[in-house]
Amino acid sequence: MADVVAEQVRGTAPAGRLHPGRAVPRPRRRWSRYSGRTFYLFVSPWVLGFLLLTVVPLGYAFAMSLTNFDGSSSLWRWVGLRNYRELLQDSAAWSSLVRTLVYTAIVVPLSVAIALGLAVLLNRRLRAVGLFRTVFFLPSVVPVVATAIMWKLVFNRDAGLLNAILERLGVGAVTWLVDPTAFYALIILTLWGLGGGMVIMLAALQGVPVELEEAAVVDGAGRWRVFWHVTVPMISPVIFFQIVTGVIMSFQVLVQPLLLAETNSIGAVTNVPSSTHLYMVQVYQEYFANQRFGYGSAMLWVFFLIILIITVLVQRSSRFWVYYEVDRDERD
Amino acid sequence: MTRGTDRAGTRRLDAGGTYVLLMVLAVLFAGPFAWLVLGALKKQTEWVAIPIHFLPEAPQWSNFTEAFTRVNFLAYTANSLFLSATYAILVTFSSAAVGFGFARLKGPGKRPLFMVLLSTMMLPSILTLIPTYVLYSRLGLVNTYWPWVLWGLAASPYLVFLFRQFFAAIPRDLEDAAIIDGCGYGRIFARIFLPLSRPVLLTSFLLSFTWIWGDYLAPALLLDIDHTTLSVAITQSYRDPHGNYIPTVQAAAAALYVVPVMLIFFFTQRYFVRSVVMSGVKG
Repeated sequence: MADVVAEQVRGTAPAGRLHPGRAVPRPRRRWSRYSGRTFYLFVSPWVLGFLLLTVVPLGYAFAMSLTNFDGSSSLWRWVGLRNYRELLQDSAAWSSLVRTLVYTAIVVPLSVAIALGLAVLLNRRLRAVGLFRTVFFLPSVVPVVATAIMWKLVFNRDAGLLNAILERLGVGAVTWLVDPTAFYALIILTLWGLGGGMVIMLAALQGVPVELEEAAVVDGAGRWRVFWHVTVPMISPVIFFQIVTGVIMSFQVLVQPLLLAETNSIGAVTNVPSSTHLYMVQVYQEYFANQRFGYGSAMLWVFFLIILIITVLVQRSSRFWVYYEVDRDERD
Repeated sequence: MTRGTDRAGTRRLDAGGTYVLLMVLAVLFAGPFAWLVLGALKKQTEWVAIPIHFLPEAPQWSNFTEAFTRVNFLAYTANSLFLSATYAILVTFSSAAVGFGFARLKGPGKRPLFMVLLSTMMLPSILTLIPTYVLYSRLGLVNTYWPWVLWGLAASPYLVFLFRQFFAAIPRDLEDAAIIDGCGYGRIFARIFLPLSRPVLLTSFLLSFTWIWGDYLAPALLLDIDHTTLSVAITQSYRDPHGNYIPTVQAAAAALYVVPVMLIFFFTQRYFVRSVVMSGVKG
């Protein structure tokens, strides 16, 4: 872990600025023009990919959002902003958005807090820490399909692990994967995968200079005060980043509700219990169950604008919390 | 003296408490894995028995053979392997090239381009996936593996960032010497930077491989049941003639499906951890 952090730190050094090699005189103008072409040659895969595979589909979705296209028939026409106007009054869409916000408001703080707590526990010099780290991290690399199958078995009403335990404790069996408990099941499934965040927190904790914490202890601060007033501020950029990515991740949750609800074909989205009917599920339903590609595209675009606003806000504030290594001297 | 032993005592107690807490949490995190494996080893009748059996009476390895025979498991595995490997190889090299461009070359508009790249890391892929599906179905690219080739060629912003960070830390002397010797940037990249970046290449390959291996939505939308990947097949195919799932066999199939990911992870843990940390600490 320490070498990971060391590498991070090394990575932030302005590349090659101090090298004497730069002093070698070279034919400046011709070189820089050649270099500019080479730059574009090298980055062209991403630039072309971004234009063709991101901008074009997004533009296509916007075009669709202005039509009443049903996905197959050629009898579509332009309807202007009608889909967007309808969306404003669509109570199902609004409640799915509110549900997504509630889900986010529960999942993000909980997973960040638990990830930080686990990281603090694992940051101590204890034996077998590596083993525990593996156990906590592993779920975050399990593919979503396997995650869903596992948790469906755990939450199964008649044969699930959870009900097996509850019955032993004398509590009756709970039907988990229906309303309203399906929502809690989804939250538990999400929290299970917080190991990725934990590893990031752990790396951040190990990057906090020990001298700082020791100095605080010498000054008479207790453990909790050191944690809250020294450690947490030091790793606040990482915590903030975790919150931002966490919010964006939970806004786009779709596959987990679909798989937990045993939707066995693309169109069978109507099986999803309403308590896990998140915004993206609603979008999916408009596209593939209701065949309303125009309306679904409008919903997708509203979602895109929400993400865009979050991203812009984050980037505006980024100078306060993260240092992107773009060398200002290399702007030409 | 007494104070010293007292301190040591509380510290021991403290460590003990931490261990108990870690054990409880570890059981919670490992529980679903264990239940999946136990489920895969139960008889169908045991699975539905009341009260719920924790352990199978005798492990039913036949569930695993049934996972292979009930659907064409090997064909789906081959599809998954092919797609994952194709994408992983393409995206690793395209991302390395783009990362090299951003780390080492100059060009007009480089800074804004890099900002765009960083913001697309935040862009959920789901946004473009459904329109892409509609677009591809009109272009006749549905039920082919071309979409994955295109995605691979297009580089991944996340991996570009990974490579850029690595390349930016390599001293410039090497490159300067090569330039003086008359080497072009293509050769500098291929002969100097790529060989130096073996650990990042491996990280990138492993990560992108597991992305596609674990992806559900893209194959579910873009491929029919004959062309699809293991991830879609195991969610749909393990049913009895009445259309009900056979949970024990499905569990066995899911266990088989996770095993490669686990193995890759166990043997290359530090690469995974590094990439996760890179993404989280630096953005």
